[in-house]
Amino acid sequence: MKNLKLISMILILGGTLFGQQPSGLEIIEKTYNRPSSKTLEANLSMILENSRGDQRVREIKQFTKDFKGVEKKLMVFLKPSDVKNTTFMNWSFDDGSEDQWIYLPALKKIKRISSDSDSDYFMGSDFTYDDLGDRHPAEDTHKLIGEETIDGYDCYVVESIPLDEEYMYSKTVTWIIKDKWIGYKKEFYDEDEDFLKRLSLVKYDEFGEIIVLTEVKMENVQNGHSTIMRLSDVVVDKTIADNMFTERMMKRGIR
Amino acid sequence: MKTIRDKILNHPYLTMGVILLVTVFFFNQIKEKGRMETDLDKYMPHNHPAFVYSDQAEEMFDIKDGIIIAIEHPESIYNPETLQKVKDITKALQKMDEIHKADVTSLYTADNIVGTEDGMDVKAFYKRVPKAEKLDAMRQGVAGNDMVAGRLVSVDETVAVIIARIDDDVFTQDFYRAIIDLGESFEGPEKVYVAGSPIVEGTMALLGPADMKRMVPVVVLAILLVLIGVLRSLKSTIFTFLVVAISSIWTFGLMAVVGIPTYAVSTMIPVMLIAIGVADGIHFYSHLGIFMRKNPGADKLTAVKDMLNGMWKPVVMTSITTAVGFVSLLTSQVYPIKYFGLFTAFGVLVAMFLTLVLIPAGIMAFNLPKLRIKDNQESTHDSSVAEKFSAGLLSQKRLTWLITLGLVIMSLWGINKVWINSSFLDKFEADSDIVQTDAFINAKFGGTSTINVILETEANGTFKQSDVLELVDEMQDDVESYDMVGSSFALTDYLKRMNMVMNEDKESHNTIPEDEELNAQYLLLYEMSGDPENLWKVTDYDYRRLNVTFQVKSDNSKVINEVLDRIEVYRQPLADMGVELNYAGSGYKALIFTDLILEGQIMSLALSLVIIVALLSFMFGSIKAGIVGSFPIVITALIGFGVLGIFNIPLNTTTALLSSITIGIGIDYAVHFLDRYRLNRRKGLTLEKAISETMDHSGRAIVFNAVVVIAGFLVLLASVFPPNRALGALVSLNMFISFVGTLTIMVLLIVKSGIFSQNDRGVK
Repeated sequence: MKNLKLISMILILGGTLFGQQPSGLEIIEKTYNRPSSKTLEANLSMILENSRGDQRVREIKQFTKDFKGVEKKLMVFLKPSDVKNTTFMNWSFDDGSEDQWIYLPALKKIKRISSDSDSDYFMGSDFTYDDLGDRHPAEDTHKLIGEETIDGYDCYVVESIPLDEEYMYSKTVTWIIKDKWIGYKKEFYDEDEDFLKRLSLVKYDEFGEIIVLTEVKMENVQNGHSTIMRLSDVVVDKTIADNMFTERMMKRGIR
Repeated sequence: MKTIRDKILNHPYLTMGVILLVTVFFFNQIKEKGRMETDLDKYMPHNHPAFVYSDQAEEMFDIKDGIIIAIEHPESIYNPETLQKVKDITKALQKMDEIHKADVTSLYTADNIVGTEDGMDVKAFYKRVPKAEKLDAMRQGVAGNDMVAGRLVSVDETVAVIIARIDDDVFTQDFYRAIIDLGESFEGPEKVYVAGSPIVEGTMALLGPADMKRMVPVVVLAILLVLIGVLRSLKSTIFTFLVVAISSIWTFGLMAVVGIPTYAVSTMIPVMLIAIGVADGIHFYSHLGIFMRKNPGADKLTAVKDMLNGMWKPVVMTSITTAVGFVSLLTSQVYPIKYFGLFTAFGVLVAMFLTLVLIPAGIMAFNLPKLRIKDNQESTHDSSVAEKFSAGLLSQKRLTWLITLGLVIMSLWGINKVWINSSFLDKFEADSDIVQTDAFINAKFGGTSTINVILETEANGTFKQSDVLELVDEMQDDVESYDMVGSSFALTDYLKRMNMVMNEDKESHNTIPEDEELNAQYLLLYEMSGDPENLWKVTDYDYRRLNVTFQVKSDNSKVINEVLDRIEVYRQPLADMGVELNYAGSGYKALIFTDLILEGQIMSLALSLVIIVALLSFMFGSIKAGIVGSFPIVITALIGFGVLGIFNIPLNTTTALLSSITIGIGIDYAVHFLDRYRLNRRKGLTLEKAISETMDHSGRAIVFNAVVVIAGFLVLLASVFPPNRALGALVSLNMFISFVGTLTIMVLLIVKSGIFSQNDRGVK
């Protein structure tokens, strides 16, 4: 389940919390514990920018489906043209393990790839695999450190410190929009407790009860890189066949 | 003028007091505001096109110089203890403030791209040190990976390196010390070596000045002793030396006041001032001695007035011409050298001022130097030596001309062989630790010096094209076939490695894929599974630029140029594909920098020669005199450079600068001689008599001056730092040629040109 939720950026509006001052943990749990949509189909634009302002854009068609105990995802590259139909499939199991495959049309072969850890960056972006997944609230200690109104949104400010001292971040601070239970801004601090990255919400769309964060931006303040992930043509809870997530489908591509 | 002179002579203590106060002021300024600029990067002319380009490329591809820590185990590094040390050193370096975490590379941090049965994996070689039974698998993994074997672990598996790339501006003495200490703390049973160009530069920055600090007192002592020998008076010696010392203090004081830091070349200023400054004093005292011998009963005021009257003009003339010579260094593109020229000129003028003021005041305050009877006897002896020498010279004109001609021809031949060496390593003794360490690492790995070749095109995606990449790969192979090039690294290496592992690790696929789209897809794959930051060290987002790195086993300019020549072969084939070739990196910049220094040096030599001919012509009212007087400079410069060529001594920043001293000294000798000779002719002496008298008067002082400075600088031959030895040898050589040239060939030129003869009255 780790990878799907944030990359698809589905955060579902939780119930309104009565009671004046929820605890940090309660806020994070409210945000985490939401029923998720079963499937998601969308076009993803990944816009990578370095400190000199050079930009790269990738257009990807992505399908996600929630199975029992595993979340499966298929990503088909549309652009740039020299990687067109390159397909990436990811099975993310609830126990944290992952299987990944890639199909290179020029090689006409499917290959398993494995990545060392959650701290690896996803496709050269500023998101680590872990940033894209949902971090379980029990993995950190949370503290409500204040309330702030930014850009017209009333937010709780929660500081989260990982229990695992070896974790790649020493601390994160999240601004959560009060009545929507979605993160508006998140700041990441590196192992040396220096400010590393800032995640911000640019745009979200509501599909009935479901809120999809359709544009988010991650900025690495240390090296000047940034990544924008923008979803378009979002379709929520459409029926996607189970066999979409197979090697055969990877080879065939989408028509 | 006269009233100022009289005031000074009447108030010698006041005069000395004022000079002392000014000196104390400048001394305090040095203590308060003076600072050394040790950052070599500050020397570089950053607006020079080659530097602008290189700086941009360095920023774009994150090209930096690396400190190399090598750890050697007598049998194999594949044991838990050594691998733990590799990890610990890596982590320790990453924690240092001066080093960015991502800039440390070792077996511990390296990405291992491996083929698996059903795919590809990019992972670390180890996180925790592997257990004994897993060591062999790791060993094989490294050996089979061209991107690591021979780069981070030596092929014989006894040495592993940890490379920390650092920014240009972080190197300090403390940091240097910390790195050395870090290395030492991991010694035993492994041996730990520290190398890399920042370390070489750091050692040089430490060793050079330290050696100078040790040698300068000895040089000063030698000069003082010889000064006593020639001046035969402690008082005169002290005052002559004070002129040099105080002018140095004022010069560095002024630098501190106007806020210009002391660059490494500025430490040459006292050297210049010693060589030039003592001359004024020697000529003064020498004149005084002759007057006192001729007028035994004269009182000090009369003697000092005669000294000033007789000598102020040549001293002013020599100082101004010398200063102008140094000011001509302003044509250099290198700022520290501009400053060097400017401040040395200032120092020369201060030395002149002090000679004109302090020496007379000193005599008034502490009386005339004592003349012993023995001196009188010797002086007659000296005169006869001068007479004999003049007569001999005049009778052996042909021989003198022939020898000169021979030397000039030999020098011209030698000059053709002069080469420039921007190497830092060649400045150390062949058996020094740093050279040995460098040789050790060069023997085990690709090379400690780096050349970056930057390829650039207009069209996006060019460096995904197979034909272009194959040409780059061919260039890499071709250049690597030169035995001084250990390895190269480029985007091609990633693609070849991935092509191989994606095709069941078959060596036959260790090639650039033929399909352009496959290149693109491999690169995407690498980004997905590896650290994409690594890619941006070898190419850019648009695949429009490529950074090809060559590891070279020497930083010697001959070797670097040889490598560049081999790369140049590919300039045209690449251009045919629309690819432009350029260079970047500190090694290349050092090469350009040394060229620039030399170019500037030759420019300024030529310019100052023109100015000096003009000045002398004006001072002596005769163009002929101007040409004759500049002859010693030309001879000295020719022979000086010729000797470098003949003895295969390369030019570097220090030796190139030394040619400036040629002007300073050569012109002094010539002016003193010419001025005295003109005076003697005006007195109505015959040509032979005038030459003989000038030989006795100016010639003697010139010999004294030469002996003093040569003796002083020969002491530097005992230095442990080769550049300081070269300095000693070359200053001595320049002094020697200048003085011999002035007293022989210039004298013959005077005769030949007939200047200052009764027929050639010139402008008064």
